[in-house]
Amino acid sequence: MQTNTKILAQEFEYLAPKTIDEALDLLNKYKDKNIKILAGGTELLVKMKTIDLKIDYLINIKNISELNFVDTDRGLRIGAVTPLSRIIREEKVKIKYSALYEGIMSMAAPAIRNMGTMAGNLGNASPAADTVPPLIAYGAEVKLQSKRGEHTVLVEDFIIGVGETIMKPDELITEINIPEVNKNTGSAFLKKSRVKADLSKINLAIHLEKEGNICKDCKIVFGSVAIKVLRAEKTENLLKGQIVNSELIDKAAEKASCEIKPIDDIRSTAEYRIATSKEMLKDGFELAWARAKD
Amino acid sequence: MVLLEKEQFDVIGKRFDIKNIGKVTGKEVYSCDVNIPGQLYAVVLRSPYPHAEIKKIDYTEAEKMGAICIGPDDVPDTLYNERIVSIPDKTYRDRKVLPKDKVRHVGEAIAACAAETEEKAFAALKKIKVEWGRKWEPVVTLDDAMDSKAPAIYDHVYLGEEKVEVKNNLACERNIAVSDVEEGFKEADIIVDETFNIKRVYHMQLETKSAVCKPEANGGITLWTTTQGIHNVRILLGHIFDISLSKINVKRITLGGSFGSSIQMNSITPICVALALKAKRPVKLVTSREEDMYDHSSYPLKTRLKVGVKKDGTLTAAHCQVWVEIGGHNIQAYPYLGCVAGWFASLYKWKNIKYEGKAIYSNKGPSCARRGYGSPQINFPVENMMDILAEKLGMDPVHFRLQNYVGRGDEFWGQGPTVKSIIRSCGVEEMLVKGVELIGWHKRGTPDEKSGTIRKGIGVARGFHTSGTGGPKAGEVIDYSGATIKINEDGSVDVITALMDHGGGTWDAGAKVVAEVLKVPFEKISIDNGVDTRTTVFDVNTHATRGIYCGCGAIKFVAEKVKKMLLDYAATLFNDRPENLTLALNEELGQGIIYPEGLPENYKTIGEIADYARITSAGTISYTSTLRQKNCPPCFVTYFTEVEVDTRTGEITVPRVVMLGDSGTIINPELWKGQILGAYALGLGVGKLESIPYDKITGKLKCNGFITDFKIPTTIDMPNIDNIIVDHAHTYEPTGPFGAKGIGEAALSAVASSFGNAVYNAVGIRFHELPITPEIMLKTLEEKEIGGKVRDAN
Amino acid sequence: MKKIPIEFFINGQKREALVNSNDLLINILRDDLYLTGTKYGCGIGECGACTVFLDNEPVLSCLTLAATIDGKEITTIEGLAKGNELHPMQIAFLKNAAVQCGFCTPGMILTAVALLKENPSPTEEEIKDYMRGNLCRCTGYVQIVKAIKACVTEAKNQLTN
Repeated sequence: MQTNTKILAQEFEYLAPKTIDEALDLLNKYKDKNIKILAGGTELLVKMKTIDLKIDYLINIKNISELNFVDTDRGLRIGAVTPLSRIIREEKVKIKYSALYEGIMSMAAPAIRNMGTMAGNLGNASPAADTVPPLIAYGAEVKLQSKRGEHTVLVEDFIIGVGETIMKPDELITEINIPEVNKNTGSAFLKKSRVKADLSKINLAIHLEKEGNICKDCKIVFGSVAIKVLRAEKTENLLKGQIVNSELIDKAAEKASCEIKPIDDIRSTAEYRIATSKEMLKDGFELAWARAKD
Repeated sequence: MVLLEKEQFDVIGKRFDIKNIGKVTGKEVYSCDVNIPGQLYAVVLRSPYPHAEIKKIDYTEAEKMGAICIGPDDVPDTLYNERIVSIPDKTYRDRKVLPKDKVRHVGEAIAACAAETEEKAFAALKKIKVEWGRKWEPVVTLDDAMDSKAPAIYDHVYLGEEKVEVKNNLACERNIAVSDVEEGFKEADIIVDETFNIKRVYHMQLETKSAVCKPEANGGITLWTTTQGIHNVRILLGHIFDISLSKINVKRITLGGSFGSSIQMNSITPICVALALKAKRPVKLVTSREEDMYDHSSYPLKTRLKVGVKKDGTLTAAHCQVWVEIGGHNIQAYPYLGCVAGWFASLYKWKNIKYEGKAIYSNKGPSCARRGYGSPQINFPVENMMDILAEKLGMDPVHFRLQNYVGRGDEFWGQGPTVKSIIRSCGVEEMLVKGVELIGWHKRGTPDEKSGTIRKGIGVARGFHTSGTGGPKAGEVIDYSGATIKINEDGSVDVITALMDHGGGTWDAGAKVVAEVLKVPFEKISIDNGVDTRTTVFDVNTHATRGIYCGCGAIKFVAEKVKKMLLDYAATLFNDRPENLTLALNEELGQGIIYPEGLPENYKTIGEIADYARITSAGTISYTSTLRQKNCPPCFVTYFTEVEVDTRTGEITVPRVVMLGDSGTIINPELWKGQILGAYALGLGVGKLESIPYDKITGKLKCNGFITDFKIPTTIDMPNIDNIIVDHAHTYEPTGPFGAKGIGEAALSAVASSFGNAVYNAVGIRFHELPITPEIMLKTLEEKEIGGKVRDAN
Repeated sequence: MKKIPIEFFINGQKREALVNSNDLLINILRDDLYLTGTKYGCGIGECGACTVFLDNEPVLSCLTLAATIDGKEITTIEGLAKGNELHPMQIAFLKNAAVQCGFCTPGMILTAVALLKENPSPTEEEIKDYMRGNLCRCTGYVQIVKAIKACVTEAKNQLTN
């Protein structure tokens, strides 16, 4: 299958609704056809160019101003087409949601972050996505709307496989909701890649709650180590309610390296991912723990 | 030894910045930017198979869509080599514009079509039907390709006019012996025998290969294309399409990087020409990045090096065996083997040498020269070997090198055994001694002394490159340049030359040389585009680090002739003899001036003189000529690299480097530094990041040609500015223009070697194969017994 | 495929066009508007050579559908200088030998201009991090970083004068 990355070879109908309702109407109208939603386009257009992804209808939702917002009143409410670069400009994200901030900052480069959206990242459902581990670690939810109504789903349950989500063809992600973080919580995001502007070989988000010297609660989420982003629940359970010391962290690191299920691929090896997951767990935990002091 | 200090020059060694203004404003035109009214856009059909017979191609559906199509039957059947830098007798030929019999690598061009838009052309392309015949399993590794049971990629090829049978996919070989290597080994107290492997990398020049061809009314063509040598392109096209060279005009145009990948006429160029001639309309063909990645990559090199040395540190013998798999076409493997021998033989005084080199066809995109043309590939084994020997001898690696390097007064092989000359300028010792201080060599410690999770190490390596390919007699490689230089009627100067500039500053240097000779302000020298094969004399190519020494050497030669003409004519106006006149630069007037010596107030500006010549119908002061340099003096480098290895994650960073170069007189210091810094990034990529593996079953690139999975160094991979020291030796090359030599390829030769040696100093593991990725480092740290030996000569 | 009418500003000039749904901004700029300063380097958003400003923010034109620029402002490298007056970043690149083959230069300059707009006084780390998506094969980046630093210093000097 010969490709030509200079152009977009596919022919399709382009639609640009101006409101959410218009968008939902279109999604409903064409739900049995081959539709794709265009937010940032950074992942969709690359797929179209490199693996000849065919589409019949392209719905550009970037012009829907109702979907472009960041509301910091309670937790974080982020509109589906909010550019990633806008999200990280919010002080609250930088200070209270370090893992999300670092996750977004680790992505590609400024131009891509100006184009890319969180909804796009979620909808694309790559196991290597950098926003997904932090979102899961914060217990974020996705709001989905269609003509049939709306519902929210935990990000953790939203993605079900490589490039697969629970979204129905007539549904639209309209916002992502991240709950307020408790006091004495800290979080961190780490990533290994070939160069800094790159897809992850392995990434990790940790969000924990500190009570004295006990790890009251924690979420540990790895990416690029399975068919979808993985919550290391056994590792979390090992840590929850325990006194934190280097021995515990070492045990958790060992556990995490056994929980993940990485493969060999063009970016790295399973062996490497397993080995570095230990170091990342240790480093990430210590960083999040130090941040929880604030 | 005469050292001309910078202060004696008006222009040489000083900094100017205006010549790149087009590049910062988006106005600079590259081949891919050329648009001719009425042009069609072309795309090329590429083979999905690594080795398959083409039986039939059906264009009916594509033509119904309005596309103009060409296939093997629509192009001349000429067998050629797209690189005609070597003399015909030494040039292997296996290439046709489009293969009639079979394809030999995934991505090889099969057919092409052109249409009103690129989208239409590509849609039509997909409708071209190819009927395939027999298909063979691809051979992708060196060992697989050499295997006696491997499918024969060629039955025969041509060397010059001679038909040559190809057995076991051996494309060519080269064996050289100096004195008696067996006797040499007998004299040795220590013998070390190691194998190293440098893999293919991809040039990743930012501009993909392109061509725009306009058919002319007289049956000829005008062509803009990515090339390092417009004349060779013209000669090849004239030969292939049987068109008189006077009807073919190849335009000199800015090149978006090359690193050797456009020394040869690019494979898409004759395809574009064929389409234009058939369509009778201009055709524009710009390759995609994925096509470009299949089109060319660097020559790999597997080296087995056996060296003998005496206890006192004197080398006694070296046996060097190399193998290189070259992909589906032989572009320049034969001279490559010769050059590798040259780079190897001229680094150190081996005394007795045996060299055996073999080039093997494989079902991969063709390899071609990449900056250094084998020098970085052989430098790695040699510089590692020097460190290994030094350690066994208990000698400091720097002292060991100082004892054995080939330097001033020694005979060295320029570009191979047939070109020998004596080195006249050499800064090797100065650079080693200086570098040792700058990096803190004596504090580096030994691997066993290191501790902690982060291990620091410092490594040294030295390299060189010839400045061009000249020699006492014209040899296997054609090497000459020329120019027309004329003084315009206002005192400004046109320099008309086919010499190319890939961005390293060749044109800047040419203008500086003319400015220095004619004493005309730098801003008034034009060496701009707007020249072509019709208006320039032959220039072989800007390659082989010959831009300054050979290219600007020729420009200086012509400028001196113009100066003589100018002074002779001026003498008639002053009623004096030319030797009594002084030529000087007058900054205030912005002109060169001539005055009788001792009477500066009686000056005439060059502009006045030239305009007077016009008014009196005396003529234009100009001269045209070519020059072949009779030498190719080595430009040397010495690099000290500091690495930090994180033993928990295998990641290697480079916090500090000291880079020293010897180019004689440095014509543009900032651009010279740019060559060294740029080469460092390239070498770092080879050392820790880059490889382009092919899949053994499908014969496809594992990355599919997408740079998503071919990563090159970015801003972050280079050390911080304060931790980079670039300095130069103080030498003067008497045979070079104003004492100058080159730097371009020398700059890359020793980068990966210094990196590898630094890694050894950090963790006590010597990697015999690159890149040293974190995965490999971590795995090797865990299995320390393997010691980073070559796993797979791929 | 039906054509989509779009209206946009390009380097301060208002233009109208009829585009196909699958037309890419990079090709509209290069082939229809003859603004060839923006370059094709990879087509998949990895090299930064196609960088332009969309409503004053850097984006990659190889991954931007032309239809989506309706009602927006595009600035390419050709629009950076004011007549004959070069932008300080262009001057800094020339003065610091940050240009070799020049193919990456338009994308580099625009990205660097965007950096200084967002962060007028970046550290060397911040400069390198921001520029990490712009690939260069010739310069090794060092002189580019130097040029950007010089531009920062020059801007500071202008303020104090």
